[in-house]
Amino acid sequence: MTMKPGRTMWMLSASVRCYRMLLLSYPPEFRAVFAQEMTQTFRDCCRQAMVEQGSQGLSRLWGLTLYDLVITSAMERARTLMASVKQLFGVTATSIVTTEGSMLMFNLTIAQQTDIGRTRQSNEDNMLAYVPEDAQVLARKGALFVVTDGLGGHTSGEIASEMAARMTRDSYYQEADEDIATSLQRAIKQANRAIVERASQNDAWSGMGTTVVAAVLRDDTVYAANVGDSRVYIVRDDNIRQITEDHSWVVQQIRAGQLTPEEARSHPKRNIIYRCLGEDKDVEVDLFSEQVQDGDVLVLCTDGLTGLVNDDELCAIVRQYQPEESVHRLIERANENGGPDNITAIVVRVALEKAPA
Amino acid sequence: MKNSNRDSEALLPLTPAVFHILLALADSERHGYGIMQEIAARAGSSVRMGPGTLYGSIKRMLADGLIEASGERPDPALDDERRRYYRLTDFGRRVLTAEAQRLEQVVRVAQSKHVLHNPEMIGGTP
Repeated sequence: MTMKPGRTMWMLSASVRCYRMLLLSYPPEFRAVFAQEMTQTFRDCCRQAMVEQGSQGLSRLWGLTLYDLVITSAMERARTLMASVKQLFGVTATSIVTTEGSMLMFNLTIAQQTDIGRTRQSNEDNMLAYVPEDAQVLARKGALFVVTDGLGGHTSGEIASEMAARMTRDSYYQEADEDIATSLQRAIKQANRAIVERASQNDAWSGMGTTVVAAVLRDDTVYAANVGDSRVYIVRDDNIRQITEDHSWVVQQIRAGQLTPEEARSHPKRNIIYRCLGEDKDVEVDLFSEQVQDGDVLVLCTDGLTGLVNDDELCAIVRQYQPEESVHRLIERANENGGPDNITAIVVRVALEKAPA
Repeated sequence: MKNSNRDSEALLPLTPAVFHILLALADSERHGYGIMQEIAARAGSSVRMGPGTLYGSIKRMLADGLIEASGERPDPALDDERRRYYRLTDFGRRVLTAEAQRLEQVVRVAQSKHVLHNPEMIGGTP
């Protein structure tokens, strides 16, 4: 069977365009990773089918592909749903770290939850808590917690925030460097470059961005890094302290003496940030570190929480309840106060003790 | 190290898609389309896999540590587009062996019950 090259080319590119649209039936997290490769593979299959069997081959390929697409996209959606249900119930991890020299027992109770809020159509927040199973990796690189808040229309904010969380973790643990602070900073910069690159590949993704706040716990120190207005707090006894500093317009105004912290809380421009991932190939990442003590609680969260639950309330809740109950109550509280934005919180209770020699 | 001691039988039985992808990667690293081609050449039309099944399986295999991405480069036989290549991890290879052994057992039972017409052609010898 022979065909004019022009017509063959047209059928090929029309098929690929059509397939790319159909890929929208997969969940955004799946598309973010595989859409490009799937399109590429489908184009290769089209070429082969056209060469071997012409337009008949192409329609046979479409038959198989559509059947496959309907089933697998439903499966991926179901899996994503299951994953978010699991997230809702939080995770609890307990781990013991043995460091060289002194033996330090390190016991973490972790709970995490994200919620769409009361008024948004989609949840563009993401989070992850990672405690390496391998004791050596845990001793070298510590446990990592990340919270991200995506910006951008349609689903692009979701993609940016998911990429930021996942790529920060992947880059961080792939590096052997034991200098936690610089390694964490590099991982976030790398995630930023990947998001900028992804945004430039597709018009629908241009302008996507995300905040990121990441915290690593190793030995008796917490290292935090941030871009944007997602935060890390440390709660010790009855005191709560914000470790990170927001890159927001209102914080700039407070620093310049133009606004008081109270005014900033209700200022109409309180959501404006001047730094985020996805904007520029190079991003400045701020670093902080703190000693932790037995009984300390770390809270990572997005502005959907901190805008609606003040520091005193936050402190009171995590003091009173275990992490799982705390995240639940924090999110409930933010929703009771209107829930205008997505709400995400990770709560980590740290138990440290010298192991018996 | 925890990973290297992972139980290679915990994931068995594998789905046909996962088994065929592991087999396709047993002798060389390949990109997605290369995996499809290898399976088609070996198994013919009895195993037909669309891109959704392929990448859905790849996603879970990456998460389970059976395979890893080995880099991006163009395939000289296709065009100058960069493609992501995948290869087996050591754990993936052990799981593949365990699954092949399990299937071999099944075939032996089938032979002993005279289910196969021509047992020596299919069973092979250990």
